[in-house]
Amino acid sequence: MSDVLLLVQAAADTTHAYRDFPLIGARAAVWIAAEVHLMFAAFVLGVPMFAVVTEAIGIFGGDERYDRLSKEFTRLLLVAYSATAIWGAILVFFLATLYPRFWAYLTAVFGTSMWVYASLFFVESFTLYLYYYGWDRWKKGRAKLWHWTLGILLNVWGTIVMFIANSWLTYMMTPPRDITPTTDPTTIKLWHAIANATWMPINVHRLIANVVFGGAIVGAYASYRFLASRTAEERAHYDWMGYVGNFIAISALIVLPFAGYWLGREIYQYDQSMGITMMGGFMSWLWVIQAFLIAVLFLTGNYYLWVGMERIPGAERFRPYTKWLLVVLVLGAIVWGTPHTMIADSKELAAMGGSHHPFLGALGVMSAKNTAVNLMILTTFLSFLMYRRANRRPVVPWADTGTRIQGAMFLVAAGIVLFYGIRGYFVEAIVRIGYSVYQVLAVLSCILFVTVIDILMARGAQSLGAIQWGKMPPRSQYALFILAVTFTWLMGLMGFARSGIRQYWHVWQVVEDTSKYAATPALGYAARMISLCVLIFLSLVAFVFWLGGLAEKSTFVSQGEARHVGH
Amino acid sequence: MWATNLKIVGVVLGTLALYTLIANKIPQVQSEVPQALTLGANVTPEQLVAAGEKVFNGIGGCTTCHGLGTRAPNLLTDERGTGPIGVRCAKREPGKSCKQYLYESLADPTAYVVSGYQPIMPVMTRQLSPEQVWAAIAYLEAQGGTVDVTGDDIAKAKQAAGPATAAGGGATPAGGPGLAGGSTDPKQIIQAAGCLACHKLEGQGQVIAPDLTHVGSRRDADAIRRKILDPASSITQGYEKLAGIMPKTFGSMMSASQLEALVEYLAGHK
Ligand code: HEC
Ligand code: HEC
Repeated sequence: MSDVLLLVQAAADTTHAYRDFPLIGARAAVWIAAEVHLMFAAFVLGVPMFAVVTEAIGIFGGDERYDRLSKEFTRLLLVAYSATAIWGAILVFFLATLYPRFWAYLTAVFGTSMWVYASLFFVESFTLYLYYYGWDRWKKGRAKLWHWTLGILLNVWGTIVMFIANSWLTYMMTPPRDITPTTDPTTIKLWHAIANATWMPINVHRLIANVVFGGAIVGAYASYRFLASRTAEERAHYDWMGYVGNFIAISALIVLPFAGYWLGREIYQYDQSMGITMMGGFMSWLWVIQAFLIAVLFLTGNYYLWVGMERIPGAERFRPYTKWLLVVLVLGAIVWGTPHTMIADSKELAAMGGSHHPFLGALGVMSAKNTAVNLMILTTFLSFLMYRRANRRPVVPWADTGTRIQGAMFLVAAGIVLFYGIRGYFVEAIVRIGYSVYQVLAVLSCILFVTVIDILMARGAQSLGAIQWGKMPPRSQYALFILAVTFTWLMGLMGFARSGIRQYWHVWQVVEDTSKYAATPALGYAARMISLCVLIFLSLVAFVFWLGGLAEKSTFVSQGEARHVGH
Repeated sequence: MWATNLKIVGVVLGTLALYTLIANKIPQVQSEVPQALTLGANVTPEQLVAAGEKVFNGIGGCTTCHGLGTRAPNLLTDERGTGPIGVRCAKREPGKSCKQYLYESLADPTAYVVSGYQPIMPVMTRQLSPEQVWAAIAYLEAQGGTVDVTGDDIAKAKQAAGPATAAGGGATPAGGPGLAGGSTDPKQIIQAAGCLACHKLEGQGQVIAPDLTHVGSRRDADAIRRKILDPASSITQGYEKLAGIMPKTFGSMMSASQLEALVEYLAGHK
């Protein structure tokens, strides 16, 4: 059997394994189609998550603004859905015509799940139409709850669809080890192929990343509408929307690294050399660029908050501190971006490679920079806290003590992070790798407890005046654009890392790429491709937004509601 | 509004340009295209060595580990006083010639783990063609030793159906079904599966993992079977730190009768 298969493959190799694409070449064509499709897909998966959450806040919190916001999100989805489908179709067409042999292999393994995928996508669009067009019809009481359920369903379908698609590409990265080049693809059990080593880590990673991405794009949308607004009310509404988008994006971003560590660990466990190629091999510079992008995200996100404090009465009390926060952020960014620390030293590698510490092993790759990034996270959290607190004076009797406790918690957390960061230099790699867990735990518990105290302390707080939504200088809005562009670019970069580590394999060590594009390009070329994809995507998104504006009037709020303490 | 639109476009393009520029300023490393090696039956040692050098520095990816100090043993230079690899290869395992040892290092790297290092070396026969593997061996032999790889070795390796699977590697007789050519002799299965790379059994093997000499008194047949099929199902006390290192692939490497023979054999070790 396997002999016959080899023969067939050899024959196929020489005949119709590949075709080329005019001008840009087959690889670039598939690259663009896949990346733009993925960006739209991330958008249409991330935004519904917001939509249901904001709708729920509207229903259960009784604030009409949220319901309108949710509907506005959903309106953006309608066109974005078609764009996702169109780019998906282009991708399939390219794969089937430019990489026919590989495509035949994938369909042989995954055929069934591809049908399920297509049907679910259909069901999903249908649910979306019901959700959007039923909005005003099912507005009250029970019907509203049913409507909300539709939103949840929309997310369920979307998540399943994504999981299915993820199984294909994770199979390409980490096919189960018993599958070899001679395995007849039609004999591979579907579930066996789906449940491969990196499937769940990618699922979780993408789920979170989609929230980040959705938030960033919504933020950019809001800032566009803000800049285009003609009335103060409209400006207030979109200022607020931009804030919410940004808040969600940054909050989700903070948990994203954990999913990333898990993914990295699975990759190392699956194949050492793949892990080493990723972190220490030809891709090691990629992480320097990633560090730079993340530093931009942190700085811009904080900048937006600081500028935002200008429109909050009472915030001047906190302004003197922002420059110190800036110092910490910049220092952190520099440390993090230092290349030597990016590539793990050989001891660390031995420790990670040594399967002795599989879980912490992958954390270790970045453990040297963990101190910096943890401090940056703490700083960002502090910015948020100041922003929250800006226009309030707590009235609870223990307010001063509470603030002091909060301060102490920050100090303790920062102290723990620093302590283990420094101590790490004096202990063996294997011990050091464990330290990053303590650092992360310290930061997370600080965030948790400080938030709880803050919520308790805000009870009945005296207002120093409402946030003056809309009184935001335009430069803050450009910051939101930079955030959106950077998130999108980062996504493209990480996508390159993920698929690039397969190097010259379509399916790692199972189906070899024998086309003339088998070499994995250097970062410079990849960056040009990523920028191109981002540009295509953003132009199309701008078009989608513009259509959205044509179709309906914006959903700005009336004066009364905009005057509302809080966020 | 036009001015604003232009500004937005400017910000977007500027950001993109900055990132693209930075990514183009750093060192540009492209991951190599594999070169199919065609080495005939009457290939000369020089040709082999030259081809092997390319494999070593390029597609083989050997330099990501070897040549970085403490990550993996030095191959081209002296390693702790034992000389370069061509000198020390014949002294590693008693009864194994230099060539046999080097082949084993690539086909079944965990069979013999150089002390002081972690068993992280990937199975190279999975990713390299027989030509590439044997060329690399010739190149390693040339580091202080004599090259005795011939076109014959390549031809023989090619007869073995396709690239070998993980632990089977070179130890598996060519093309046989399952491990150890499908043998149901538990000792052969243990040999071929490489259990002794981690475990000790009757005084043989490594001490990384629990000694299996009395495993039958700790686990019944069921528990042993489950452990082999799904190592994560139960972790031996005191070895929690090593959980996850026992390969999960044994179940798919053995036939049912092999598995049963092995389980019965181990369960009998009371
Ligand atoms: C992921 C890292 C890694 C890669 C890649 C790698 N090796 Fe190794 N190699 C090791 C380690 C660690 C050892 C020592 C432990 C052992 O014996 O398994 C080793 C041991 C060896 C030995 C035995 C050395 C001795 O002193 O006995 C040889 C020979 C060898 N490798 C050859 C190669 C060749 C040839 C390649 C490329 C085709 C390669 N290795 C790629 C990590 C690696
Ligand atoms: C790469 C190293 C490695 C290899 C190869 C390996 N094991 Fe293990 N095994 C371990 C480790 C480590 C443990 C202890 C930790 C655990 O329970 O997972 C273990 C535990 C066990 C146990 C449980 C022992 C007890 O006392 O509870 C059995 C049985 C076992 N292995 C059988 C085998 C057999 C049979 C093979 C070969 C087919 C094999 N192992 C190959 C690493 C390995």
